[in-house]
Amino acid sequence: MESSALPELATSLSVWSLFWQAGWIVKLVMIGLLVASIWTWAIIIDKLIAYRRMRATLDRFEENFWSGQSLEELYRSLSERTTAGMGAIFVAAMAEWKKSFEKGARSPIGLQTRIDKAMDLALTREMEGLEGRLGFLATIGSSAPFIGLFGTVVGIMTSFQAIAGSKSTSLAVVAPGIAEALLATAIGLLAAIPAVVAYNKLSSDAGRLAMRMEGFADEFSAILSRQIDERIPQKA
Amino acid sequence: MRTGLVTSTALHAVLLGFGLVTLSAPRAYEVAEEQAVMVDTIPVEEWTRLQTGDKDAPAEDKPAPLPTERPDVVENAERVGENSVDTDAPPVPEAKPKPVETAALPEPQPEPEPEPDPTPDPAPTQPDEAAPAPVPATEIRPEPQPKQDVKPDPAPEAIAAESPEADAAELPDSAPAPQARPTPPEAQTAKAPDRKDADKPKAEQARKPQSESTENLLDDVAALLNKEKPSGGGAKRSNREASLGAETKRPAEKLSRSEMDALRQRLGGCWSLPAGIVDYELLKVSVRFRLDRAGNLDGPPELIKGGASSGPGRTAAESALRAVQKCAPFNLPNDKYETWSEVIVHFDPTDMF
Repeated sequence: MESSALPELATSLSVWSLFWQAGWIVKLVMIGLLVASIWTWAIIIDKLIAYRRMRATLDRFEENFWSGQSLEELYRSLSERTTAGMGAIFVAAMAEWKKSFEKGARSPIGLQTRIDKAMDLALTREMEGLEGRLGFLATIGSSAPFIGLFGTVVGIMTSFQAIAGSKSTSLAVVAPGIAEALLATAIGLLAAIPAVVAYNKLSSDAGRLAMRMEGFADEFSAILSRQIDERIPQKA
Repeated sequence: MRTGLVTSTALHAVLLGFGLVTLSAPRAYEVAEEQAVMVDTIPVEEWTRLQTGDKDAPAEDKPAPLPTERPDVVENAERVGENSVDTDAPPVPEAKPKPVETAALPEPQPEPEPEPDPTPDPAPTQPDEAAPAPVPATEIRPEPQPKQDVKPDPAPEAIAAESPEADAAELPDSAPAPQARPTPPEAQTAKAPDRKDADKPKAEQARKPQSESTENLLDDVAALLNKEKPSGGGAKRSNREASLGAETKRPAEKLSRSEMDALRQRLGGCWSLPAGIVDYELLKVSVRFRLDRAGNLDGPPELIKGGASSGPGRTAAESALRAVQKCAPFNLPNDKYETWSEVIVHFDPTDMF
């Protein structure tokens, strides 16, 4: 081979030049996939941090809750700052409890129902925060390969048209176009694989957190129910 | 969310930057240079072609065409023969050796004597006019004598003879004149005009009637009178003993494999095997038949091997003969007629279907 042709060939095959050689559709696909990948990783990082923080708050709250502290005290300390997770559920339940008792509750069953509703609402709100944007990961995980494939097909199509125009079928003519087109699929897979893995891991993590919070809500509801039973006959 | 986005963007930027440096280009494969080997495909037919030779000669390692009498005249001649031109025309067999070389000679000889001097001039003019008319491309070896005849002829005619009709009667001897080599005329015609302008028209007038009406006839007569050896055939020479080959003086053709297979298959299709013959050795029959140029049978096919006078052997032989007659007009390449004028077919049930 000619020694002069080799370096030129090498530079024209680098990833960057492959990107610049591509047609605008392929470029658009690649840029879109790159943005999707950035967003995916942003979500992954965000969620990982959020879940870890949530787990920490849950641990701390459970520690406080079961430390023998009175509920009133705990409520006072928690309601002064913004709470998350079980804290939010606890605050919502306690707020409802307090409101009902300040006005003088008539029916224990009605009070119980209200408290459960308030806790459910708080739980849903918390889970919304935790699970939000996980859907985007799922979407990217399933559609990015297809988007990449689309870019590849378009790229190969145009490169074949170019080959037909150049009337030469040597591999040196065919290869760059195909390599450039395959870059789109590579980027698509690059975006999709972490998205799928992270989606599975994060959604199972979120499920576990939700279970934990639901468990606490049920437990707290039982405690409050016992309290209501104890207090209302006294009042009546 | 912001932390995530920033981190992600940073990570991607770092990754891309890293990729640009490290993944810049895969190393090109080192391909060992290989020498291309040229391959020619040669049809089997070319191998199976017969060498030009003698049919009766013993097979020899070194093929040689029929020996010819003189060394090569034409370079790269392809067709063997005594000719000095390499033509495709089949050689005309020499009927009998003729003792007389030129019948035309006696007459012209007395004529040139009276006026030997004017000869040089008219002579060149004549070939000019006569050159197109004479066909004889076959007159390949002009003997020295005819050349001498030619030049003297026109001179006496042009000067002595006033009436062209009278000349015509005398002329036959001059007919073969066109054989003369037309090489010199260019140089001589240039001189002709200044010396004898007056004579020229006369000579032309004398020529014309003759060339139009009697030229062909004269040519024929000349051809009859001309005792030169018959021409035809090619110009390839050979001194060696003839090797085994076909009689033709051109490279013998042979039916190609595909053509032979086609014939064989066709016969197989026409051949209905007689039922009830267990021993298929009995079915192996050889049949010879002759074909004319149209591919029709020339005479009935004859059995040359196998078969029997009675019983299953006879049935088998008859079935083979019937097959040949049934297939009768064979479509074979006409230019190879020599190879299939007589065909021997070995009927063999294991081979033909």
